[in-house]
Amino acid sequence: MRRAARVLVPVVAVAGVFLLWDLAIRVLDVKPYLIPSPGTALRAIRDDWDVLAGLTWTTVTETVLGFVAGAVVGFVLAVLMSRWSVVQRVVYPVLIASQAIPVVAIAAPLVIVFGFGLTPKVLIVAFIVFFPVVVNVLDGLASVDRDLLNLARIMDGHPFRVFRSIELPATLTPLFSALKLGATYAVTGAVLGEWTASLTPGLGNYLLVQNSRLNTPAVYGAVLLLAAIGVTGFLVMVGLERLATPWRVRSTARRWRRRAEAGSSLPGPVSEDVPVTHGEGER
Amino acid sequence: MAGRAKLVVEDVTCRFGETVALANASIEVGAREFVSIVGPSGCGKSTLFNVVSGLVRPNAGRVLIDGRDVTGSTGHVGYMLQKDLLVPWRTVVGNIVLGAALTRGVSDRDVREARALAARYGLAGFLDHYPHALSGGMRQRVALMRTLAVHQDVLLLDEPFGALDSQTRLEMQRWLLEIWSELERTVLFVTHDVDEAVFLADRVAVMSPRPGRIAAEIPVRVPRPRDLETLTSPGFMELKRRVLGLLYGEAA
Repeated sequence: MRRAARVLVPVVAVAGVFLLWDLAIRVLDVKPYLIPSPGTALRAIRDDWDVLAGLTWTTVTETVLGFVAGAVVGFVLAVLMSRWSVVQRVVYPVLIASQAIPVVAIAAPLVIVFGFGLTPKVLIVAFIVFFPVVVNVLDGLASVDRDLLNLARIMDGHPFRVFRSIELPATLTPLFSALKLGATYAVTGAVLGEWTASLTPGLGNYLLVQNSRLNTPAVYGAVLLLAAIGVTGFLVMVGLERLATPWRVRSTARRWRRRAEAGSSLPGPVSEDVPVTHGEGER
Repeated sequence: MAGRAKLVVEDVTCRFGETVALANASIEVGAREFVSIVGPSGCGKSTLFNVVSGLVRPNAGRVLIDGRDVTGSTGHVGYMLQKDLLVPWRTVVGNIVLGAALTRGVSDRDVREARALAARYGLAGFLDHYPHALSGGMRQRVALMRTLAVHQDVLLLDEPFGALDSQTRLEMQRWLLEIWSELERTVLFVTHDVDEAVFLADRVAVMSPRPGRIAAEIPVRVPRPRDLETLTSPGFMELKRRVLGLLYGEAA
């Protein structure tokens, strides 16, 4: 029941926005070439779907590749920076300066070097995504309790095992915060890349072309598709986060995790999956 | 102290810059002995533990376990703090086997032992729970089991029950005595609580204010097993009075 409400409420909220939008267009009698109604925008998508399907695929590819590249680079950088403070002192100021460069400004030189293909778009998306990942993963690594690391030393813990079992999992929650942000920003990066120059057209190009033709319903259609990509990315991250950090939402471990964690194939007594109850007393 | 001492701290001096945290601190603990350490705040109790556990190398002095010099090297003791330091993403069993996970890898045997330990001491229904779903008392139990599971004879317990409410604390103290008598470990127990120090120990060591050293050692000849009545017995009260006197500098 509550589970159903969790899904239903956001769906209803989005539907409400569409409804208000539609209502405003009708009541204020706005012409479709200024702002189309949601219905008109959706029809524009349907009518041009043969073209749009391919374009959407291109934009999704740029977004996903750039997102993954940015996340991986950001994560590795953060780990290196936390391991060796020299790396941090050298690299961090450069990273911060790099984020002061407007993304639009960096797009043009990237195109000059990498041409009109996929590469510059992927790089722009990665450029946007990697920074929050670096900052958040660094925070996660710094948040590990010093006493816990000391305890690991007293136990004679192997540095790699300590990293894998104690430090790495501590980065997951902040990492996913960054990835959720990144999933929505990434689409912006892809569109900016396409606007600068492109021989492999995506939704960004489509949007520009339709705009110059004053085909407003098609522009809105493209915007809706871009939003859908961002929302999908966000939801995928939420799902992955729930899988990766079950201790935040569950009170007991799933069976496959128990084995993975214990490094064992013992069946052991099966306790029922109990929903979270914070501050549960003894017995 | 029957036979050869299990743990010997010999003239340990520890300086941090200008501050002398420990000055010629010495103590011997026999095998299967339970020694409490009390002292004013900042007397170097935690530094002493850091030296014994090998985290801190002293400026002078030695630490011997079973006659072997282990000064400045880790991996010889079980250690437990007031903070339970449970790893949030590991289950109760996963936390108990942490020592193995961080060193040689967890074997089926480790898991079996951890499950048996947890089941034996009242956590049977919580083996696969994450720490956030446990109460404070249960968390400290898991932390103690993790300390036991590293299979070290010497346990350093640094105010392990300091953060618990008094009722849970008493429960935990009785539980600790039960475990100690069954598992035959050597325990060094730091606390602020004089009642706790006397109730648990074979001997109470009183530390002096900084620079810290062991100023006095009082044997506790209160018969075991000890229980609630012990806490109000004349013998117990007399010992408590002596320890308090030493702590606060009054004539004992």
